[in-house]
Amino acid sequence: MMRIFLLQRFSAIALLVFLTLHMIVLHYPPFHIDFDNVLERLENPVWKAIDIAFLFVVLVHALTGVYMVITDLDRLARYRGLITWISVAVGAAAFVYGTQTILAFQAP
Amino acid sequence: MTNVTIRVQRFNPDVDQKPHLDEFQIELTQGKTILDALHEIKEEQDGSVTFRRSCRHAICGSCAMNVNGVNMLVCDAPLKDFVDRRGRVTIRPLPYLPIIKDLVVDRTSFWEQYQRVKPWLLPPDDVPEKEFRMSPDEVKALQDAEHCIMCGACYSACQVVAMSKKYIGPHALLKAFLRVLDPRDSAPGERLTDLDQGDGVFRCHTIFNCIDACPKHLNPTQAIETLRKLVMKRQAFEAARAQRQQSLDQPISVE
Amino acid sequence: MYKTTGFVSFFLRRLTGLALVVYLFLHMWVIGSANAGEEAFNDRLDFFQSDFFKLMEIALLAAVVYHAFDGIRLLIVHYFDVTDQRKSMFYAVFVVSAILTVVGGLPIFLYMLE
Ligand code: FES
Repeated sequence: MMRIFLLQRFSAIALLVFLTLHMIVLHYPPFHIDFDNVLERLENPVWKAIDIAFLFVVLVHALTGVYMVITDLDRLARYRGLITWISVAVGAAAFVYGTQTILAFQAP
Repeated sequence: MTNVTIRVQRFNPDVDQKPHLDEFQIELTQGKTILDALHEIKEEQDGSVTFRRSCRHAICGSCAMNVNGVNMLVCDAPLKDFVDRRGRVTIRPLPYLPIIKDLVVDRTSFWEQYQRVKPWLLPPDDVPEKEFRMSPDEVKALQDAEHCIMCGACYSACQVVAMSKKYIGPHALLKAFLRVLDPRDSAPGERLTDLDQGDGVFRCHTIFNCIDACPKHLNPTQAIETLRKLVMKRQAFEAARAQRQQSLDQPISVE
Repeated sequence: MYKTTGFVSFFLRRLTGLALVVYLFLHMWVIGSANAGEEAFNDRLDFFQSDFFKLMEIALLAAVVYHAFDGIRLLIVHYFDVTDQRKSMFYAVFVVSAILTVVGGLPIFLYMLE
């Protein structure tokens, strides 16, 4: 339990940084987003790395959060083991999918 | 002479499907507590009103109820302070616990969780010849947690308890805190391991209802935060405790 | 129901948290269209940049900001002994996130009007 708590806490702290960055870059000032201007940023491998790390952290935080919400409920508490594994599987799948997306931004 | 309307939640398991509110008129006089009002109702108006009480001076913890949505000891609550704008006082049993009758709730889960944390002291094998000694700082760190009277106000106010009766609960975690931090206790490691379980300290969502509800102004939330930090450095804490127990019979030097 | 400021704060934390999880997966699906090439990506993004979704974005910002500041509050509670200030901290979180939502939402709103 301590591990889940710490995962959630450290991912939260990391998210404070990543998410602020993410929102400033993509929304301020607001502009029309299309493939080209995303590509322009993501051509830089540093941005690719940042985005992949961001993806990882956000998934950790989201899934630990959902895990806590579910296991709070009396009735579902006995499926705790199963819920853990489902969370890990969903997280891994989403990470692979998201990473693919990030890497898909390649100059043709 | 003013009258107040006391609304009491009634539930008789033999007759009622679900609880309902009954209204009683009570004269508001100086120094009358809510418990006095309940007594007056029981003696003069409706003998079937059922509630728990014993000491009537806020030390036995049996009269905890929910007045106008807030948990408190009714023997310690002046009636005049709780009359709302419409001249009413609403008394309900402690929320989230099974109702036995009227204002009496089933506290089984409360006591089960209390037992679970081993609320007693586990002293070291060799007890010092004279008395155990504790420094003023060590006593202060306990934050008066021994003042808890086990009334259940915090337990029934806790949102996490409302969702799961498997959660240890603020009352038992405060007691665990008292035992873990006590330098005379020789098993803080095992205690902390148990508190690390899925329904232990990390299940607390820092809602603070327990602090607001406590009639003794104790602070279970701070205790839980402290326990979390200790769980994170359990090994070091265990070693420090073993070290400390070498000198339990030594006089404390206070600068 | 035991209603206190703490309960309201907890309820909002849960609500925004779950909403953000739903949004996260939606978001990943939307930009996931990049896997199918530039055109698919531009098409789907055009759809999600209409005025309606711009307005929803402000709601999203409110959720993110509230959740973030509530989290910061929890961090402060964990690392400092501030349980006595709990009430003022709740209100501080409400006020700060409201202000930031307005400040941050305004450029999006103005852009939408253009
Ligand atoms: S009657 Fe004993 S605490 Fe109220």
